[in-house]
Parts: sequence; C-alpha cells; structure tokens
Amino acid sequence: MQARDLYSFYGKSPVIQGVSFDLAPGEFLAVLGRNGVGKTTLLKSIMGLTDRCDGGLAFGGQDILGLSTPQRSRLGIAYIPQGREIIPQFTVRENILMGTFARPDGKREIPDYLFEMFPILNEFITRRGGDLSGGQQQQLAIARALAMDPKILILDEPTEGIQPNIVKQIEDAIVRLNRERGLGIILVEQNVPFARSASDRFLVLDKGRVALSGKSQELSDDVVEKHLTF
Amino acid sequence: MDVISNQLFAGLSMASILLMIALGLAIIYGAMGVINLAHGEFVMLGAYTTWALQTYAGIGILLALPIVFIVVAAVGWIIEKVVVQNLYHRPLDTILATWGIGIILQQAVRLGIGAESRFVKGPELLSGNTQIGPLIMSNYRIFLIFFSVAVLYGTWLLMTRTEFGMKLRAIIQNRGISECYGIEAKRIYSLTFAYGAGLAGIAGALITPLFSTIPTMGTGLVVDAFLVVIVGGLGSLIGAASAAVLIGEATALFSIVINDTLGRIAVLAGIIVLIRFRPRGLFPTETRR
Repeated sequence: MQARDLYSFYGKSPVIQGVSFDLAPGEFLAVLGRNGVGKTTLLKSIMGLTDRCDGGLAFGGQDILGLSTPQRSRLGIAYIPQGREIIPQFTVRENILMGTFARPDGKREIPDYLFEMFPILNEFITRRGGDLSGGQQQQLAIARALAMDPKILILDEPTEGIQPNIVKQIEDAIVRLNRERGLGIILVEQNVPFARSASDRFLVLDKGRVALSGKSQELSDDVVEKHLTF
Repeated sequence: MDVISNQLFAGLSMASILLMIALGLAIIYGAMGVINLAHGEFVMLGAYTTWALQTYAGIGILLALPIVFIVVAAVGWIIEKVVVQNLYHRPLDTILATWGIGIILQQAVRLGIGAESRFVKGPELLSGNTQIGPLIMSNYRIFLIFFSVAVLYGTWLLMTRTEFGMKLRAIIQNRGISECYGIEAKRIYSLTFAYGAGLAGIAGALITPLFSTIPTMGTGLVVDAFLVVIVGGLGSLIGAASAAVLIGEATALFSIVINDTLGRIAVLAGIIVLIRFRPRGLFPTETRR
C-alpha cells in the first residue's frame, strides 16, 4: 500500500494533510500519535469513509481513491474500527459470515483456524454479538475481518478498553497473523512498547501530518517523550 | 350472529389487502427510513397493469401477478435510483419528493388512460362461494387471505433466511461497517425499494375485482396502510400483520354497530388513543433510527 501526499476531509476541513507512506506486502506498520491527531481518520480514509480525499492512495499497484468502500474491501483490505462495531443483533456466526461478503470468490465458508485462534467464539457461536464482553467482541471483530481472507488488516486501537487477560491474547494473535500468515498490518496503537516490538515500521502523526517515521527499532524513548507524551 | 361472522370474514379479507400494502411501506421505512407517499400510486399502477394485461393480452389476474410484480418493482427501482437515493440524508425531503412522484404518476395515468373507472374480471377459477353454516364466503376473498399470509411468510423468509435479507439487516444496524465488508448498500436499498413497490403492485392487482380501478384509488388505501404500519410499530413485520387484522376487523365490526362513516371515525379515534399509550406501536423495534 502506498499513500502519496494524501489529504482527507470532513466537510471542508482537511483532517489528514499530506500524509505519505509505503507498506510492502506482509509488512507491519504502527501508527502512533496523541489523541485527535488524525490516526483514526487516516484509517477511515483508506476505507473511503471520510467525505473526500485528495492525493494518491494505491493498493497492490492499483489506485483506490476512486473506488467505493465495498470495492476497496473486496481487494482484500479488512478494517477493524475503533469500538469494534460488530452487529449486535447478529449471532457470532452471522457476524463472522458477514466478513465473507467481501470475498471476491463468493465463498461463504468460515476458516477453521479462526476458532483455533479464538476458541471462545466457537463456544458462543449462537449467541448474539451484542451479548459478548468487550474483549470477546474484539476477537469477533478480528475473526470477521479474517473471514474475508484479507491481504491487509487495518486495526484501530484493538486493545482499548479491554480486560488485561484478553489484551495479551489479541496482541499475540495480531503478531501471529503477521509472522505466520504473512498478513500486512496497519495498527493504530497507544501502547508504545507493544507497537515497537510488533511492528516493522512506524509513523507518528501530529496535527494531520507525519511528524516522524522510520524503522520500529529506531523508536527511541526520546521520540516517545517528544511526540507521544502529554 | 350471521351478520357478525360475515362481517368478520369481510374484515379479514380487507386486512389481507391492507397487509400486503403495509408490508411494502414497513419494509421501505424500516430499511431506509423513507416514508413513501407514492406507495398508493404503486398500488394503482399494479391495478392498471392488471387491467391492461387483461384487456389487451387476455391474461387473467392470477397469471398477471408475476408480471405486475416485475413491472411495478421496476418502476419503484427507477424512482429509487433517480430520486430517492439522492435524498437518504434528508428524510423530510423524501416525504415531499415521494408525494410529488405520487401526484405525477396519478396525473400521468389520468391523462394517458382516462379518469373513468376500469373494470377487471375476477378469475373464473375462484368465482362462487363457499358456505359453512350461515357464513357465506366468496372463494376469491378466501384466496386473498391465504395469499397474503403466503406473502407475509415469503417476506419473512427473505429477510431472515437469505443472504439478501442478512445484508439488509446488517445495513439497517450499521451501514458504514457493512460497506467495509463488501455489502453494496446502494444496491440493496434499490432492490428493497423495488420489492416494496412490487408488493404494492400485487396488492393493486388483487383488489381490481373488488374496487373500481381509477387513478385516485391508491390514496385512500395508503392512508389505511399507514395506519397499519403506525399501529403495528414501524419496521415490524409481525406488527404489520397483527395491526392489519386489528384495523380490518375493527372497521368491519364498527360498521355493523354504527354506520360506515361513524365506524371509520371510531377506528381513527381508537388509533389515536392507542398511539397515546403506545407511541411506537404494538411491536416497536429497537434498532431503527
């Protein structure tokens, strides 16, 4: 995925201003920054959920700014939004099945490895999504995204507001998906130690612009001090 | 006693017509929050399509049903694409727009076909009556009741057991995330609107033997259908069904006790009282906007 001088607008105000980055297939990018600097908006722009975008955004060599949100998803971009946004009235099975609607081959199978990764989902398969705990809902949201057999996974603060014992499970799952299944990952994260250990590259946003970017091992405590503490 | 049972039957057959009209309204409102004031005109178009098929092609009502469904659904689909789709973020304007479309359709039929009443023959197969004790039931009206139950069941299956229904339910609950998982909300909306219009068309076809086919025939019917939707609870299928029976029967029974006009007033007064105590209808659904 490539972004070139990307601008993204809500109404007339540009929230993302000239962001560029490159992400090779299977690479792991962490997007960092304080609250309100446009991290979520950057992810929404990739999915085409903001009012308007300018500049360049390509996926797999194809320009995607002109594509609709469903078209983008069918290219293999899976988005797991902040707050999870599973469908509360749907059962766990229906929620996962919904992920398969984005498969370009039209298959409607739920891959078995999802249940190995998150056994709780198999146990609760007939419950309503809305009855699950926050952590279980987050696992469900990841399973839904994986059901579409994506090439890249976009996660917006997947461990925010989740009980600590599940946070570790989710972090491990994200790392495994990247290392073992070769999934590209864009992760917005507040937890800097996890972002540093898991990701290949990082991007620090400030006021809608890239303040700093580089390889994750270069993410020193000085950088954290300067750009990420309040 | 005879009078009452016969009126109950008449009320039930009226309820089945109301149900088919109200289903379309309820689905369109439930899915996209659009109050479709052109719905009565879809009923009218269904009736005129049936008349045209019978008069010019010799096709009877029963065989005409699938054709009528497709024709009126196509009209609904075009209207959704051209007008309604551009107004989803302005719900109040859709009321005005669909009202305008209704007037245009009505006047177009008046100019093109004429204002005089058209006659459509009922199906031979269903002529005659069935008598059980003192209760005399026309076979056609019995058919109407069963047919509307089948339509209700079919709609329920469509909404709960098909991929289309699942996509629609996903969009109703969260349009943004549904689009992120490959669901083309615009396409689903168009098809849903077309389906609702098609149901109205079928209702229009089926009432041709019972009502006079005139350009304004839909207006009165759609008022009753709106009452059904409001009493039943917006967007609820089971609510629409029970409210249709309730209103059909109440109208029929009041008209024995008092006369038709006063019966109508009594039904409306009853609905006002009901709405006072259950403002969201008998079966309110939680996940609507």
